[in-house]
Amino acid sequence: MRSSLRLARPLLRRARLTHTSLRPTATLTTQSTLHSSQPFSTTPHRSSSVNPSEVSHFNALASTWWDPHGSSRILHLMNPLRHDFILSCLSSAPSSPPYPHRYLDIGCGGGIFTESAARLPTTASVTGIDPTPNILAVAKAHASKDPTLTGDRLRYLSATVETLPEEEKGQYDVVTCFEVVEHVDHPAEFLDVCGSFVRPGGWLVLSTIARTWTSWVTTNLVAEDILGVVPKGTHDWNKYINEEELRGHFSGRVGWGAPRVMGVVYVPGLGWKVVPGSEKVGNYFFAVQKVGGV
Amino acid sequence: MDSIARRRAAAFVCQSCTRRSLRIRRQPQRGFSSAASQQTKPNIYDVVCVGGGPAGLSLLTALRANPVTSHLRIALVEAQDLSKLRSWKPPPDRFSNRCSSLTPASALYLDKIGAWRHLDLSRVQPYQEMQVWDGVSDARIEFDWVGSAPSAGATIAYMTENLNLTSGLLKRLDELGGVSIFDGAKVEDISFGEQTEEFNLSEWPVVHLGGGKQLFARLLVGADGANSPVRSFAGIEARGWDYDRHGVVATLELEGEGWGGDQTKIAYQRFLPTGPVAMLPLPGNYSTLVWSTTPRNAALLKSLSTKDFVALVNAAFRLTPTDLEFMHTQSSGQTDEVAWRLEHSEFDRSRIPQAVTNVQEGTIASFPLKMRHADTYIGERVALVGDAAHTIHPLAGQGLNQGQGDVQSLAKAIEYAVAHGQDLGTTMSLESYVSERYAANHVLLGVCDKLNKLYSVGSGPLVPLRSLGLNAVNAFGPLKSFFMSQAAGSGSKLF
Ligand SMILES: Cc1cc2nc3c(=O)[nH]c(=O)nc-3n(C[C@H](O)[C@H](O)[C@H](O)COP(=O)(O)OP(=O)(O)OC[C@H]3O[C@@H](n4cnc5c(N)ncnc54)[C@H](O)[C@@H]3O)c2cc1C
Repeated sequence: MRSSLRLARPLLRRARLTHTSLRPTATLTTQSTLHSSQPFSTTPHRSSSVNPSEVSHFNALASTWWDPHGSSRILHLMNPLRHDFILSCLSSAPSSPPYPHRYLDIGCGGGIFTESAARLPTTASVTGIDPTPNILAVAKAHASKDPTLTGDRLRYLSATVETLPEEEKGQYDVVTCFEVVEHVDHPAEFLDVCGSFVRPGGWLVLSTIARTWTSWVTTNLVAEDILGVVPKGTHDWNKYINEEELRGHFSGRVGWGAPRVMGVVYVPGLGWKVVPGSEKVGNYFFAVQKVGGV
Repeated sequence: MDSIARRRAAAFVCQSCTRRSLRIRRQPQRGFSSAASQQTKPNIYDVVCVGGGPAGLSLLTALRANPVTSHLRIALVEAQDLSKLRSWKPPPDRFSNRCSSLTPASALYLDKIGAWRHLDLSRVQPYQEMQVWDGVSDARIEFDWVGSAPSAGATIAYMTENLNLTSGLLKRLDELGGVSIFDGAKVEDISFGEQTEEFNLSEWPVVHLGGGKQLFARLLVGADGANSPVRSFAGIEARGWDYDRHGVVATLELEGEGWGGDQTKIAYQRFLPTGPVAMLPLPGNYSTLVWSTTPRNAALLKSLSTKDFVALVNAAFRLTPTDLEFMHTQSSGQTDEVAWRLEHSEFDRSRIPQAVTNVQEGTIASFPLKMRHADTYIGERVALVGDAAHTIHPLAGQGLNQGQGDVQSLAKAIEYAVAHGQDLGTTMSLESYVSERYAANHVLLGVCDKLNKLYSVGSGPLVPLRSLGLNAVNAFGPLKSFFMSQAAGSGSKLF
């Protein structure tokens, strides 16, 4: 179990600085768990003894997540495709769990996907986990702007997959992990732990970026070395994972069905487009169903 | 497990408790006897629509009729008493003076949301031909489908009383149910919510009605007409100008059903230097008048006896601008003036409307005309549709149709947001609506405005030029069919 997001944090810490300036064009690697800094002991926005500089830092952080024209715009634009992909997975197999669904969103960040999943009428509950407390504070503060996101519908936990209680295993209809695995040191073990939370018939859904010459050129060479918009070392290109590698991983494990894949390309001005075959070059979604459903 | 359970309890408080605390905070002095019922029925809505005109009713019907959006909590606020609209049942030979031509695209949409069959279709008049000409040079553009159209005799548009449309929409909405309707209720104020322990509603618009009622809106829709209070609340500027013209409307009785009989109905429009005058067919011998003219002329028209009014309307389609100008200086006696002049003039009777014989009592009215376009149609948790977003010159009969186009686009944006778990009130969810509608509406506003300016000049170098324009358009088939399809709302999405 040493494969956690926590292990990835030295890398992530460096990456934190980049979130506001990174505007990927062909590929997407901005990531929820990238943000990290000194842990807050309390949620900053409700405390009466709030340090003003912490507040402004918090506000800046919040706006990078939720400003529709800010640096996370590209993630907001991608979000509907996540739902389309999940829906296509669920409806592809009659053994998929019946509605309403329980979701676990690993590396939920500011809650872009987490909130949207909680709002679906077909959702029973969503649990978003992230190890970074002040990112979760952003997520919670934003969720408080929507009074329907209450009760069991949405909860945020400051946790890694390792620290989630045993009882949660096998409990979730859909476990999501968007733009996370490329930042993890031991992806194989990490994916195994993620998969343990999926109930039989449920789906493990993730998105990441292929390790190809194209992605190396766009995220490492162009963004970091030539344009310098991203500090060097933000992307560890060696950690990128190809679709065949993910396939290989799950076919080597018992209990998982054949994977479903969807490649997507960001076209400036038009948004994200599904492009069959593009999973070989850049951003892609990947999902596997745990066998033994209803 | 325990720790998670505790966490959950700490982070989330039951909705009704929270809502109660909201109400108490906002209304500290009001003792409420019905506290329990208010507690269980909090006024938090997904969509609060201010304005139950054609645009507002159509939007809510579209949302209720769509299974993806039918679970939304929806409220309608309308200043007028809707029971009058529900019981609208005029005698078959009386027509309201507020009529609009609905394009086939609008009619199709109304059918899709299940409203069209609730209109009294015996009072809806399709027309198949248009006669448009320049009152100064007599140059014509004949809008008919022959040659370039999908089929000869196809419907260009449907003349409909606005009340027939809105009562049909309301019937459909009542049939669908599920909308909290606050009618006879004026918006007294719109403010923002507050931040409490649990919720931050500081970006949520709160609509205040008489009697202290408050409606919290995830999305506040301004379908509240040209003087939109919602638009003012959102701080959205509407720019444009007044035309210094009034639109005089009336329900006319003609000598017959029209030259094409019951089967081929014709719409007429003549450009006069004071503005266009239009006569649009209603069922049987009836037609509706829209005459845009100077405020002074409008005042005179409204002061005339029925006979003189009828005479002047007939003159508007037949006599020269100079004759008309003269007759507007007389406070009465137009009947004889017109009769005398008509005896000495020659017309191609098939190209002008049949003679008006009477005007229905109480139907002569006038409205100031203006051109306005809001800087944008959306803000955080606010969207504008219909006349609240844009007011257009009535010469192209497009105002209401533009509103239907808005509604179609906004309903689609809301559907997409709901299906993908987005907060439907955020600009992120609404931006496709603006990008789809703004440019299209702007082009149309501009075209109608320029057409009006072009034809508001009585003499000078522009007159032969514009005649050339109309004749050239008439001769040039493909261009004409483009204009035609735009007029009918079936072409590319300009209208
Ligand atoms: C002379 C004339 C002729 C026209 N001819 C045509 C035509 O042939 N074809 C065409 O397409 N269009 C035509 N139009 C335009 C058409 O009438 C309008 O575009 C259409 O009525 C706009 O619909 P709406 O629902 O946006 O607004 P409205 O019809 O103005 O409805 C707004 C509603 O909001 C309510 N409201 C306003 N303020 C408040 C408040 N504070 N609280 C609660 N409720 C409120 C009002 O009571 C009203 O019911 C014409 C207009 C004029 C003036």
